[in-house]
Amino acid sequence: MGIVIAVISGKGGVGKTTATANLGLGIALNDKKCVVVDFDIGQRNLDMILGLENRVVYDIVQVMDGEANLKQALIKSKVNDNLHFLAASQTKDKSVLESTKVEKLIAELKESFDFVILDAPAGIESGYEHTIEFADAAIIIVNPEVSSIRDADRAIGILDSKSAKVKAGEDVAKYLIINRIVADMVESGEMLKSDDILEILNIKLLGKVPEDKGVIDASNQGKPVILDKKSIAGQAYKRITGRLCGEKVDMKDIEVSDAGLFKRLTGMFR
Amino acid sequence: MFGFLFGKKKSASVAKDRLTIAIMSDRDRTNGYPFMDEMKAEIMAVVQKYIGVKEVQIRKEVDGNMEALAIDVELDKGV
Repeated sequence: MGIVIAVISGKGGVGKTTATANLGLGIALNDKKCVVVDFDIGQRNLDMILGLENRVVYDIVQVMDGEANLKQALIKSKVNDNLHFLAASQTKDKSVLESTKVEKLIAELKESFDFVILDAPAGIESGYEHTIEFADAAIIIVNPEVSSIRDADRAIGILDSKSAKVKAGEDVAKYLIINRIVADMVESGEMLKSDDILEILNIKLLGKVPEDKGVIDASNQGKPVILDKKSIAGQAYKRITGRLCGEKVDMKDIEVSDAGLFKRLTGMFR
Repeated sequence: MFGFLFGKKKSASVAKDRLTIAIMSDRDRTNGYPFMDEMKAEIMAVVQKYIGVKEVQIRKEVDGNMEALAIDVELDKGV
């Protein structure tokens, strides 16, 4: 029986879909069976990030409505056999989702995958609520920036009140990924430190991802950045997915720039 | 650039202070229970049977390990 993880953010444009794609592929590279599901009905994007936009035949709404079965709708990744993808519907809107149908679909996915990763839509409306309702855990993506952090806190609040697990008196696990960190801005005091963000949001840290031009290059090509061994964001997702798969991976301090590191090193010899 | 406004404070620590306050007040307003509105309406209906009510306010208050509901019923003076 697999674990269901919703990837959420509150605010849009913080890298949620990119994170979902890289988490999914990273888990698959760790030899676990993983499915990534695009819950952003009406604004399908995960297919582009994964480079699978030409293979979409059936979408999640057609599966939930019984117009297609799950096997027909699941798309296998071109780069890893362990990774599968279920597309969002592009023509319908978010209001088509219904709790009972979502629950049935997720139960079915849990049967055949170790990890079920749900890419939530931005915002905190019904589409978001349906994504988190049956999740065992949530990964919250934030940027080190005030509006992203504030919106994330609202999304967490809704998770804590609408999650089926919470309603049943259980805990829904929450982990934070801080995305787009610029080391020299943190050093100069112009960007919030991860410790401050964790203190404000009061949740556990899963990982830190540095700002990296390689992410756009990767999305241009439809090849998740985790495949790019030279990319610092790709390496960060490698460490994060290692942690998710139970490996012990130390938290790398990406909030120190090369210049800062050089200062520290030379300081040792003074 | 805005050094004259914030003294020597770096913008990241300004962000932290502002966020802490904004999020605290967001939580106060929203992190009650999902049934808060419904409960409010029912309390209002019960009190209304005896005396005019202008507004009912319910807050969840957390003090260490103790959680409490603070219910304020504002009476309608006109009745």
